[in-house]
Amino acid sequence: MTVIETSAVSVRRLEWQRAEVRKIMVETPRVKSFLLHLPSWLGHLPGQHVDIRLTAEDGYQAQRSYSIASPPEDKLLTLTVERVENGEVSQYLIDDVRVGDQFEVRGPIGGYFVWTTSMGGPLCLAAAGSGVVPLMAMLRHRCRRRKNRAPALLLYSSRSLEDVIYRDELDSMAHRDSDLHVVNTLTRQQPEGWIGYRRRIDKELLAEAFVPPEWNPNIFVCGPTPFVENVSRFLVELGYDSLTIKTERFGPSGG
Amino acid sequence: MTKRRLRDGSRSKGTPSMDKTPISRGFRSRRQQQTPKIRLPPGQYVTMDFPVLSAGPTPQIKVENWTLDIQSGGSLLGTWSWAAFEALPQTTIKRDIHCVTKWSKLDTTWQGVTFDDLLKALGLAEAPTPYVMAHCDGGYTTNVQVADLVGGKGMIATRYEGLPILPAHGGPARLLVPHLYFWKSGKWVRRLRFMKADERGFWESLGYHNYGDPWKEQRYDGD
Amino acid sequence: MTENGVDLVLDGNAAAGLLQEIFVRDITTAQIQCESCDSTGAVGSLHLYAMPMGAVLRCAHCDGVLLRAVHTPHGRWLDMTGTRYLRF
Repeated sequence: MTVIETSAVSVRRLEWQRAEVRKIMVETPRVKSFLLHLPSWLGHLPGQHVDIRLTAEDGYQAQRSYSIASPPEDKLLTLTVERVENGEVSQYLIDDVRVGDQFEVRGPIGGYFVWTTSMGGPLCLAAAGSGVVPLMAMLRHRCRRRKNRAPALLLYSSRSLEDVIYRDELDSMAHRDSDLHVVNTLTRQQPEGWIGYRRRIDKELLAEAFVPPEWNPNIFVCGPTPFVENVSRFLVELGYDSLTIKTERFGPSGG
Repeated sequence: MTKRRLRDGSRSKGTPSMDKTPISRGFRSRRQQQTPKIRLPPGQYVTMDFPVLSAGPTPQIKVENWTLDIQSGGSLLGTWSWAAFEALPQTTIKRDIHCVTKWSKLDTTWQGVTFDDLLKALGLAEAPTPYVMAHCDGGYTTNVQVADLVGGKGMIATRYEGLPILPAHGGPARLLVPHLYFWKSGKWVRRLRFMKADERGFWESLGYHNYGDPWKEQRYDGD
Repeated sequence: MTENGVDLVLDGNAAAGLLQEIFVRDITTAQIQCESCDSTGAVGSLHLYAMPMGAVLRCAHCDGVLLRAVHTPHGRWLDMTGTRYLRF
């Protein structure tokens, strides 16, 4: 086996550092965002994640990965967490954590599932549920870079309108930016008068929403494993180059 | 490595330095509550789910194509088709199972052919060697001592809770050695190879304990 | 749970933290070649199994095992038998 190292970038060991919760925002009935202060944070790229580690008084520890929701331009690091049934860590975060609480964070992790404005567009994003979190970091980053904004599209599948994470912010971003389109599909419950999509993302929906394959978009797909696998497969069948499709599977039930 | 006794009776393997590690206020393990502690090996929690962990994609095996081989040295001691295997004496057991990732499931019911009955079917009074390597579809392997298989301790299971084992849980047939950590109960077993000397299987050769007794918390090599 | 038959597969990117403990750098963007089928791709695009016992990274084309990694209290283990090369 050969190992070839071509870059001279200095390497850094991933270290745990103390994070303090500065602000908590309720996004949806099951989802909260936590804005964290990390004294030794060196920055991150949109799409990356962190590991967090909780330690109980008796020494018991639990560790999980969460995508970073904030763009690198923000001072505080935002994690958006969905409360998962039987989720030991997510339940603690959603039910118990208060401003001022501390836990450990290490990162940023994962340079593969990353988009920055320098990578150009068009940018086509597909998310289900809490899969929108790393994609939101990308959109927030794009929003802060005012010059030469590549066209971007977010296709976002949620169970109902109240489950759409960042709903108001996405509406306002799209409203202010003619090059950003947000397409929602509500799969279980739709409000009175809803004229948008009301089904799971399928091949037809992707063909209608995404820019054509000839435009060679950068594509990111994130959410539960079955969602990601279906969407990736549809995209390849529709003619998108699989090398331009980056996926982040959250596992069977979500992040 | 010091083993601290924690308040709930379980042991921790080495404690983080308490001065440096921030304690997450109010965080505690929600899992270590329900337990009839006497039934739970150290560090485990009871789950009502049946979590799935696989080292690879789930093989989709058709029973018409399934065979189980027993091998020793270069020789094939015996082989069964599905129909022939189902015709062997069936045993039903109820056991607790313990995964090295800390979940335990109590009172699980399995049906299959015990290792003892496999030996009998092969016409063997005893196993030809002390060690066995289980070879499974998808390439997974795990090593088990014969002493941990005989006397009803191990079986090739084909039914869980009365129904055919689902592919995700190792169906159509999996090795079942419930007194050891569940990674030893190799899913999709297809061949048992007798070995003169012990060899390490998939996880045992990558940092996991060679034996895997949950009651001694033998999770990792060096425990 | 996967009672409905969905495989518990993640992307190689999800093993980035564990791999960075070993390589002291992020290798998810590194190119890796499969010894079984010769295909090449980014580590982050491999299929990841077996978490949280460890990381088993499999070729996205032929499912061959390229890399296995485990973090234990006594040290970290890495097996790259199925990899022809790693380029980063």
